[in-house]
Amino acid sequence: MNLAYITLAVLWLAVIAYAVLGGADFGGGVWDLFASGPHAKQQRHLVDEAIGPVWEANHVWLIFLIVGLFTAFPLAFSVLSITLFVPFTLALVGIVLRGAAFVFHLHAPGASRTRAIWGRVFSAASAITPFLLGASAAAIASGQIHASGGHAQTVDWTLWMTPFALTVGAMAVSLCAVLAAIYLTVEAQQARELELLAAFRVRAIIAGAVTAVLGALGLVLAPFQAPLLWNGVLGKALPAVIVTMLVGLGAAASLFLGRYRLARVLIVLETACLLGSWAVAQLPYLIPPDVTISNAASPDVTLIALLVSTAIGAVFLAPSLWLLFRTFKSSKPAPARK
Amino acid sequence: MSDLLAARAQMGTSLAFHIIFASLGVGLPLLMCLAEGLALWRHDATWMMLARRWAKGSAILFAIGAVSGTILSFELGLLWPTFMQFSGAIIGLPFALEGFAFFLEAIFLGLYLYGWDRLSPRAHWLCSFPIWISGLISAWFVVSANSWMNTPVGFEIVHGKVTGINPLEAMLNPSTPYETTHMILACYVATGFGTAAVYAVALLRGKRTDYYRKGLLLAMAMGAIAIPLQIVSGDANARFLETSQPAKLAAMEGVFHTENGAPLEIGGLADPTTGKVYYALEIPYGLSFLLDGDPNSKVIGLDAFSPDDQPNPLPVHSSFDGMVASGFFALFVGIVFWALYFWRKRRTPEQRVLLWGVALAGPLSFLAIELGWMVTELGRQPWVIYGILRTSDAATTAPGINISFLVFSCIYVVLAVTLIWLLLRLARSPLPKVELDKDAFVVEEEEESVEA
Repeated sequence: MNLAYITLAVLWLAVIAYAVLGGADFGGGVWDLFASGPHAKQQRHLVDEAIGPVWEANHVWLIFLIVGLFTAFPLAFSVLSITLFVPFTLALVGIVLRGAAFVFHLHAPGASRTRAIWGRVFSAASAITPFLLGASAAAIASGQIHASGGHAQTVDWTLWMTPFALTVGAMAVSLCAVLAAIYLTVEAQQARELELLAAFRVRAIIAGAVTAVLGALGLVLAPFQAPLLWNGVLGKALPAVIVTMLVGLGAAASLFLGRYRLARVLIVLETACLLGSWAVAQLPYLIPPDVTISNAASPDVTLIALLVSTAIGAVFLAPSLWLLFRTFKSSKPAPARK
Repeated sequence: MSDLLAARAQMGTSLAFHIIFASLGVGLPLLMCLAEGLALWRHDATWMMLARRWAKGSAILFAIGAVSGTILSFELGLLWPTFMQFSGAIIGLPFALEGFAFFLEAIFLGLYLYGWDRLSPRAHWLCSFPIWISGLISAWFVVSANSWMNTPVGFEIVHGKVTGINPLEAMLNPSTPYETTHMILACYVATGFGTAAVYAVALLRGKRTDYYRKGLLLAMAMGAIAIPLQIVSGDANARFLETSQPAKLAAMEGVFHTENGAPLEIGGLADPTTGKVYYALEIPYGLSFLLDGDPNSKVIGLDAFSPDDQPNPLPVHSSFDGMVASGFFALFVGIVFWALYFWRKRRTPEQRVLLWGVALAGPLSFLAIELGWMVTELGRQPWVIYGILRTSDAATTAPGINISFLVFSCIYVVLAVTLIWLLLRLARSPLPKVELDKDAFVVEEEEESVEA
């Protein structure tokens, strides 16, 4: 096992962390958009309450990913920045509007119109951003991004708009929605809000079904539009893909049975397996067909520096994160407010 | 607009916006920590009110700073892919370390902002330490990367290939101690005088209560301690540039021709087409004396560099003088304020002229940050990595940079307008009522009416 693979594994863990934490924040915004019925206001309120304390911390995974990518794999960062300029810029706009909208609508009590406008911006940007990130991931997997001699070649700027990319983008949104809905069932249960619990349970099941359908559609399209990935799925990643499907079924079952905490664990695992199988299926390429893990990696000295600082960082971060989540996401009911 | 200019304009706009939030993100948590510490130590409800109010402001500013910081990390690649491909392996390390520091800051900010009711008062206060310490460390890491762009070390170029990379050496490049100190002090100066300005305006409007006086005093203490150190640090920076980046120094001081006994040009316009400084106040031998302590020492001028390698002295010289002038104004206000305070037996000075001075020193301190940043960036041109990579060679080849610049400019306008509106609203909202009840602080937050 060489250093480049170890570094990639660390970065991939950050991708998974961003997906299960930051992804749930995106999903929260999606449910803000779909809040309906007589309890729409309470649904939105639950989303705000759940996201508030962990919001900034969840977002930082993305920044860690970006800086980790350009430190460890500068060629990949440069090639992706050029070839996926449009979807990345749009996703960035989404991230910015969403981040700003969240604070603006949280901290503008009373000003109901401004609050409402930023609330809509928040939910719309929450749906668009994961879509663009998913579509960009599919564009990478398509194997159409060429780079030779260490430079991005003139490319097809519409790679992220193929049927396969659109499907994966939509799947990313629905997966975020599932994550958020399942977390929110646990939050609602802790707050003893039974109507909210029921609402988010139904939402989780619907979004889960949508995700499964989109996943199946993606698999159908993959042989044509991402053959390299498809070969990987049938080959070295097959066990991981099967595990992913089984875990998904498990999550659905525990949701049906009302075992929300178990469902939360399983959906996190499901997301990790999904992203893990994608990574395995695409080995040894970072950006197929030209950019591989070894030809894009920085020299070992840089990778060692990055890994050592990650280890030192983790020593500080792990207990801090534990404290954050224990303080705000433990099973102890929140002290009565109002 | 050419793609290069559009890329530079977009990066410049983003940094000009971000630097305000980043500076407040370094300074404000320290004020918060001090105020809460004073509240617990002195059992004083007013200090607690200040800590609460600053925490609310921090929440909004930090969130906007986080998104504008995200924009920058993407833009490094989206706008300057060649630069990142060249330098990622060399100078990515401080960015990654900054990421960790920022992570810690975000975690403890979450605990601090939402933990008032869930943590003991002491535990809550302790949560403020990692916030300001991480803020300070983040600033150090990020600025060390910028320092590297000015004095690039920690690698070799052999036959056009980068080898012998040493990330630690790159991070600890010769400029790092000078630039990081100057930027971190700038954060404390600007946050101190900026916050003091808010309370000075409140006092000017007749809100002469203990709350506003205490806010003014603490903020002025921070600003007034930092500003003399900052001026000493600025002097050290200029002397350092004499050897590390003489072209930048020449542009800053408007020196067109290498000469012995160079005069100091204060103000004026350094016109690169004629090679003269117009309308300046000229102090004979001043520059030579300031730089070397010898009125006849030699100062290298822009003519020592080929026209392709010269920065444009017009904006650099004007920005430099604007920064220095703002700094000295803040120093003057700080000295007068504290002299009056101690002379009057520790009573907050409330003369209208002085309060106006404080109110002016706040915005000027932020202006100084912007100008100082322009000095270092424009003074490094035409290089993005000094002497190694030209800015024009680093820009992206992707299409549509003009549109991207337009879109982001609009976003910044919307963000700035909403943010200012929100902060003004926060400033006008009734203060949280804090009372001491058997050594415990009881807080009645302002009613947050949640309407649909």
